[in-house]
Amino acid sequence: MKSSLNSTLLQKMVVVGILIFIIALSFLSRSFLTLTNFNNVTRQVSFVVITGCAVTALMISGNFDLSIGSVLALTGTISAILVTYSVPLWLSIILATLVGSGIGLLNGFMVVKLNIPSIIATLGTMYAARGLALVITGGNTIHLGLGENFTLLGRGYLGMIPITFFIMVIAVLLFYFIESKTTLGRYAYAIGGNRRSAFLSGINVGSIVVLLYLLVGSLAGFSGVLMASRLGVGQPMVGVGFEFDVIVAVILGGTSIEGGEGSVFGMVVGAFIVGFIANGLNLLGVHSFYQSIVKGLVLVGAVLLDRKIKEMIVE
Amino acid sequence: MGEIILRVRSLSKNYPGVCALRGIDLDIERGTIHCIVGENGAGKSTFIKILTGAEKRSGGDIYFQGKEFKPRSIREAMNLGISTLFQELNIVDQLTVEENLILGREPHRYGIIRKPKYSERVFQLMNDFAPDIPLKKRAGLLSFAEKQVIEIVRAIAADASLLIMDEPTAALSESETRRLFTIIKSLKREGLTVIYISHILDDIFNIGDVVTVLRDGEAVDTNSVKEISRDELVRMMIGKVTTDKYVPRMVDYKEKVLEVINLSTNKLKRISFCLYKGEILGFYGLRGSGKTEIVLSLFGLDRPGEGSIFVQGRKTYFKLPRDAISQGIFIVPEERLTEGLILKLSIRFNISISNLDSIASFGVIDAKDEIDLTKEYMRIMSIKARNVEQQVATLSGGNQQKVVISKCLHAGANILLMDEPTRGIDIGAKEEIHRIIRKLAEQGNAVVIFSSEYSEVLSLCDRIYLLRNGEIVKELKNQEAEPEEMLRVITGGRWNSHEVKLE
Repeated sequence: MKSSLNSTLLQKMVVVGILIFIIALSFLSRSFLTLTNFNNVTRQVSFVVITGCAVTALMISGNFDLSIGSVLALTGTISAILVTYSVPLWLSIILATLVGSGIGLLNGFMVVKLNIPSIIATLGTMYAARGLALVITGGNTIHLGLGENFTLLGRGYLGMIPITFFIMVIAVLLFYFIESKTTLGRYAYAIGGNRRSAFLSGINVGSIVVLLYLLVGSLAGFSGVLMASRLGVGQPMVGVGFEFDVIVAVILGGTSIEGGEGSVFGMVVGAFIVGFIANGLNLLGVHSFYQSIVKGLVLVGAVLLDRKIKEMIVE
Repeated sequence: MGEIILRVRSLSKNYPGVCALRGIDLDIERGTIHCIVGENGAGKSTFIKILTGAEKRSGGDIYFQGKEFKPRSIREAMNLGISTLFQELNIVDQLTVEENLILGREPHRYGIIRKPKYSERVFQLMNDFAPDIPLKKRAGLLSFAEKQVIEIVRAIAADASLLIMDEPTAALSESETRRLFTIIKSLKREGLTVIYISHILDDIFNIGDVVTVLRDGEAVDTNSVKEISRDELVRMMIGKVTTDKYVPRMVDYKEKVLEVINLSTNKLKRISFCLYKGEILGFYGLRGSGKTEIVLSLFGLDRPGEGSIFVQGRKTYFKLPRDAISQGIFIVPEERLTEGLILKLSIRFNISISNLDSIASFGVIDAKDEIDLTKEYMRIMSIKARNVEQQVATLSGGNQQKVVISKCLHAGANILLMDEPTRGIDIGAKEEIHRIIRKLAEQGNAVVIFSSEYSEVLSLCDRIYLLRNGEIVKELKNQEAEPEEMLRVITGGRWNSHEVKLE
């Protein structure tokens, strides 16, 4: 959905940037433009994109969630622990995902009912969920007794394409549908665009925001299960900084930090540009320390460029 | 005549499409309290904004103490000796009285703040005017009137020789007003000049030396307060009455759609009224008279302490706006940009948002229905825009208001509460909005207009309630309404309110 001319413009810019980058890299490194490498990047990016789908909707409504990285770790370890207690794999996936939903609900409750600013409320659950993951694992990595099937979702293939790719596509299409065709998506834009006006129009602002937090928690929870499956272990310290990877993808995708505009497709492009930069620099043999610097520069540079272009349009 | 401190010559100001000031000539004598009165939209606030440097003039000259005066900012105007006491006070609640008094010019050495010298003029003035306000008290704990005193003291200590006061008593109680007047009188004895802007005629007769009437961006007349009567002043403010076009309409006063009995909040006093099907009802009062509070209570935004609301004869209670909406009530808020619209979004999204369920099934919006209904409203209201996807931020004020009204209708409202429906809208579009309102009433809706412009109330409303200080002081039929009488009643001031009630 084109919520405004300007955000689509940033997306176009990002797409052009990504194409130039891919073409340049394919000349510089032979292994860049191969299916194996593409699958690699996809698997890395898929966690960001799957969670990012719900986070985009939440940020369009003008709210934040910093707890997703910790939720990822908590639900990943829970799914692993449940499997070691001989809970069937499918049930452990569902239960772990529901724990994520529960934390989402708690975030929503704190923001809406207790009126705590979203950054503070979710910073609280960020610490608490990480702590909980450490408590239930005793700080250890869970790797014994997980069985073969545990890694199916995260490492498996359907034909030549990783399963995570399909899950990612389904999540993106679902949230594109929500964003552009449903009342929930519309209310998210309205609340982020002008909360007061939305409230005066009779919108139940509170329940919409809670629902969005619930979706974010659920998808972060499911991503945690996927992550554990990919790693083949339940690790309480995974996903540190994951929340910022997601927020960077959402912002690069043209979602306004104040809310009211943005799109899921933009977020996908944003996530892939970050993924390809990291991957490309890797292939070129640039140390990961430098990659972090580049990521920072790209984020600030893109937002700055976006504003300059908006100013030019206004003039 | 004494020395002229401020000389204004053919001062004009044009906004796009509106001429706010059309060549004002004014002389203000040193050491006087010079009042400026006028209806809303007469040009008072534009005049202050130019004097304080907040707005640039379009033409004309101002001389202050004999020198050409052209401030580029409020700060510069202050440095030249003109300070302004705005309605919004400039006090930091978290700091103490003392810290506020010396804010921005704290004595310091290398950036470290030192103890202030209490021999300073600002503290002496504070001691003269309000020895009862403790210097160490947090400003946030003070009343509005006490904060106002701090601002005044600050202005005088900064060597202001001209002090502009914009409706200073609007938020004050009777005793606070008396204290303010005592202070103003002693300032005058010290040779300070005051420009006093007010709606409240009693204030002017209490404190003013000279009064200038502004009307439609012109200075109509300047008189000594002693030589003018209240009636003459009101007549000058209104001028030649050009309220046209009210055509008596056939309202069947049988079907009550809304009845309010003894509604009270901390601002409202026993508000009772009823509204009939097909009627346009008006509430006329000054800013701060309680208009907005009535809207808030009727739309579930403010819980009334007492009283009851009946919609179609059934007693109701609104906790939230959507409760009111479900009863067929919708508002056109006074603040169109921050409360009525979502500026970033399109016309289509703005209109449909008030009732998405009507065009959605199982939460999925039917885009075709949505576009069709938007086109239909754009046609009925004659909203001028490129297409349904145009951002509402880029529309003119009149067209934006038509979007807000469309939104009400789409919500299925049959009782419309319109707070200052044509504020900030140019004349042509104003009449168009009025036509739309009349049409809505003819179609059987009931409309309540809350306005501080008598011309709007007179040309639209079938019945008019006059509001003052949170109370309904009079009910009129349009045919028996006299603008001068109306203005006299609502500006009645606080000392003779009992007289007015006896009429």
